[in-house]
This record gives sequence, structure tokens and C-alpha cells, in this order.
Amino acid sequence: MFKRILVANRGEIALRIIRACRELGVETVAIFSEADRGAQYLELADEAYCVGPPKASDSYLKIDRVISAAEIGNVQAIHPGYGFLSENAHFNEICRSCNIDFIGPGFEAMRRLGDKNEARKLARAAGVPCVPGSEGLITDEREAIATARTIGFPVLIKAAAGGGGRGMRVASNDLALKSAIQQAQAEAQAAFGNASIYLEKYVEQPRHVEVQIIADHHGNVVHLWERDCTMQRRHQKVIEESPAPHLAPHVRDALCNAAVSLVKTAAYTNAGTVEFIVDPSGNFYFIEVNARIQVEHPVTEMVTGIDLIKTQLLVASGEPLPFRQDDIRTTGAALECRINAEDPQHGFQPCPGRIERLMVPGGPGVRFDSHAHTGYVVSPYYDSMIGKLLVHRPTRTEAIQAMKRALGELRIDGIKTTVSRHLEILRHAAFAAGTVDTKFIERTWPG
Amino acid sequence: MANSTPNSGDVFDLKKLRQLVVLMNEHDLSEVDLRQGTIRIRLRKGGDLAGAPVEVRQAGTTAQLPAAGSQRPGTTPPPSEEHLVVIKSPMVGTFYASPSPDAAPFAKVGDRVGRETTVCIIEAMKVFNEIPAETAGQIVAVLVETGAPVEFGQALFKVDPRQ
Repeated sequence: MFKRILVANRGEIALRIIRACRELGVETVAIFSEADRGAQYLELADEAYCVGPPKASDSYLKIDRVISAAEIGNVQAIHPGYGFLSENAHFNEICRSCNIDFIGPGFEAMRRLGDKNEARKLARAAGVPCVPGSEGLITDEREAIATARTIGFPVLIKAAAGGGGRGMRVASNDLALKSAIQQAQAEAQAAFGNASIYLEKYVEQPRHVEVQIIADHHGNVVHLWERDCTMQRRHQKVIEESPAPHLAPHVRDALCNAAVSLVKTAAYTNAGTVEFIVDPSGNFYFIEVNARIQVEHPVTEMVTGIDLIKTQLLVASGEPLPFRQDDIRTTGAALECRINAEDPQHGFQPCPGRIERLMVPGGPGVRFDSHAHTGYVVSPYYDSMIGKLLVHRPTRTEAIQAMKRALGELRIDGIKTTVSRHLEILRHAAFAAGTVDTKFIERTWPG
Repeated sequence: MANSTPNSGDVFDLKKLRQLVVLMNEHDLSEVDLRQGTIRIRLRKGGDLAGAPVEVRQAGTTAQLPAAGSQRPGTTPPPSEEHLVVIKSPMVGTFYASPSPDAAPFAKVGDRVGRETTVCIIEAMKVFNEIPAETAGQIVAVLVETGAPVEFGQALFKVDPRQ
């Protein structure tokens, strides 16, 4: 096991990693920007170094300063957390060339899976279904129609150079396809200077189901079952849960095995998440791999009883996984609500400010992962998540009850938060019934 | 000090607040927290929040006044040091006072430096970076020992620009 590691992150995930290290007897070196100076969680690290002014690009993302802090802190490894440099293959490679272990996958596997095209190729090689699509760019109408018929309507026309949903059109038949392509091309040309388009099957009312995996350096790959993250707003996850409600057992098994298959094919090590979309018929399609520990990892920790961060450290230090696939069982149901400093009444605009009073909920099956405290100043420089509230109960119904109770106890005075929106979602019949899709929140609460 | 009987008219007694601030400065106090009955006055100078406002609270209500008197973000240096310029580290690394172990230090107390004068080396990732003073004047203090780790923004030297 490492003697000392550097935590290359901030806020709640930095605190999470420090906590795992303290239990393992591993010393920690924390880094902070000038905006985070004085944050209480830093006191739990053995050493802490300032790496720059508030802006992330001038501090947490400064590779040379992070590595320097690792050197003067005399660490053997760096845990990158999530966000920031966690999926930066270049940073990963630099760590290793400086003889510092990177607590995560190897940089080659990270690079391969970070490229969406490469990842899809690997998925196909592993026998994992992907969203059917045109193999390359669509250049003429006849080709478009033929491809669309092969894929199956409805199809989604996407701009090759695009992003942010621009240059995207849905077409349900041949006739609609013609005009949709023309419109998409025009929009793509205007937005990106490139009219190239390709086709993908349009999966209607998709659910987002992802599989937590972990692999050691001895060839062992294990999945820790799935999480349902369908509750999203503008592609940002709002509520996550495990097990995925109303997922047929054979679909659940197939999904999780597909994830393991992909991870083995990619020679991926340490923790990661394989994301899928699932249609109402139970067909699932690979989307992408998140080659890092994720925000919602505690959901899996609660249903499996396994500490994922500790396991990451074990794997990175060369130990074999302390469990086999047969040992991984889930009990009960867990929910997580991401508590953000945002104003639900005004388009969820971020609300930085001082937390005048924080009261943390407790009781059976309640967990609050947060770096916030009374007097903590939420600064405008980083993402607005101030904590994750989790519950774990024997059934999903009880878990929803417990989460409502816990949200009611949570007091964050001085700033606006998304607590009220979480309560509205939990009270909604569709959420209880599990009849939701990834656009549910945006449709139900537009604006 | 806040010895008048509280009534709704006295809460914003600027004269008293100004007296408190003057007293704080005279005695170099960074925080004063006074309570009487339902009134509480708390004044904090500088500290972890930039420009912490004056706080006057009465029975659960909070009134915030603009900073009265001298409120400065950051710790207030003693009056005699206010004109000194601090050379801060622009990077994370290991501080070296001299170009090599046996050589004389780049900048010791009493030395005069110009903007471009190298005052130290900070080693980061095996690269030895020469750090310029970026201020002209006389070195009055060397704050770090050779071989010590330094973080971004750490004070390295104090320079008197008047010399």
C-alpha cells in the first residue's frame, strides 16, 4: 500500500479520498487554489500546498504545479478524483514518467476509450451493442435513405463537426429524412463551417443505465452492478439510484456482462463506468466509458457494501481485488440527490455565497458526502455541487420515503439550492413508477 | 462599550461603530464580538472573507452595513512594514537561495535588486527556474530556507522599494 498520495482535486471528492486514505493509514497531500484556502476539509490532509489563483485553469489544471506539489510532498501516487485532470491521458502519462503512480487506468487504455470512435470499435470487437449508425459520413440522399432503412426509423441526423445538440434533426420516414438532412446540413454549415453529417438510430424515451466496474493488474475484472441515472437535466445528472428500477433480470445481467467484456477487451484497469442507453423494450446500446471514479460512486458503495476508493488504492498499489464476481451482491435500494448551489426558480443559475447555517440530516441509512460547513463560502469558480445526499433502505419505496425525510432535515441557509426540486421529483408519480426517460425533467419542469 | 439600552433607534449607531473600529486599530485587534441583551455586534478585520462586512444583529434579524472605517482584505501588516513589497513564489517547487550549494546566495539581506535580478531558484519537475525580483529595492528579509518546499503565492522575500 502507498505510504503517501496526493489528492489532485478539491471539495467533496478530495474529502472522500482523504477519508479512505485515513482509514488505510495512507498519508495525504492536498492541493488548493487561493479560493479554497482555509477550507475545513484541508485540515484533514497531512500537508497542503497552494497551486494557484482561483481559476481552475490557473491552479487545479496546471499539470506542472500539481506534479511539483507531488514531488515536494514526496508522494508515491496521485488520485485525480473526477473532472479536472482525471481523464487527461497526457497528465496520466506525465505522472508515470515522473515515477508517480496514477490511481486510475493506464494512459493507453484511457486514451483509447476517451476517443468515442475508438471506444465504439472496441465495443463492437467485444460484442457489445452500440447505437446503430452510418459507418461514416453521409454524402448523398440515396445513401441516406438506404442507411436509414438499415438502421431503422426514426433516425437522428448529427453534424460530424458538431456538439451541443446543434445540427441535429430527427426523421421518422423517407420523406421527412430528405428535408431534415437539408436543414441539418444548413445548420451545421452555419454553426461549424462544416456541413458533414452522419446518421444514428434515434432511441426514443431512453433510460440511462451505467455499470460500475473495477479491474486489477492481475487480469481480474469485476462489475458492481448498475446505476440508473435517467433523472437528468440538460445532460447533467440530478438523481441516481441502484438497482435500476424495473429492469428485467436478463437485461441487467446482459448489460453488466457486456460492460465486463468491454473492459477486458480494452485491457482497462482500476475503476471505471460503462454507460448505456436502454429503450422501453429493454434493448441496450453502448454510449461511452467514463475512465475515472464518478460522482455517484457512493450509490454503488451503499448497495454493495464495498468501499470503491479504498479498492482503487489497493488496485493501484498492485494488490489483487479482494473479492470475486460471485461475492458482489446488492441489498436494498440506494438513491442519491446531487445538492447544487443553484436557483431552481431562475433557470438553475448558480448561486455562490456564504452558507450561514448548515444542518446535516442523519439517522438510519443516510449519508451526506460534502465538504460544506457553516460559514463555508461557495465560490463561483467551480461547479455548483456542494454535496451528495444518499439513502439506503431495504426497498425502493422506503428509500424514496427516507430521501424525502432527509431532504426535509437538510438545512442550507444563505444560498439557494436544488433541494426543493429534488422533493418535487421524488413526489412525482412517474418517478415512483419508474416510467421516466432522460428528458423527463426538462419536459415536466421547462425553464 | 456598547452600553446604551438597546432600542430600535440605536442599532445603527455609526458613531459608536466608528469608535469601535478606531479602538480595534489602535490595539491591533482583528475581531471584536460584543453582546448585550438582544443586540450583538461583531466586527472582523480582513481574515478569510474578502471585506467581511460589519454585522449587527438584533433578535434574529441580521443587518449588514457597509464596512465602516478601515476594512482591508488580507491580514493587515504592522504600520512600519506597510511599504514593503513581498516577492511571492509564482510556482510550486523547491526553493534554492544560491545557484549551487557552495556559491553565495542570489539575494541576501541588505542586497539591492532590480526588476530583472534573479533572487532565487525554484526547482520544479527537475527544471531549475530562475525567479526575477520583479521589483527594485533592498532585500530586508529572506523568508525561506534553501531546500524548503514552497507553494504558489508563498512569501519569499521582503523588499524595501524606498532603498
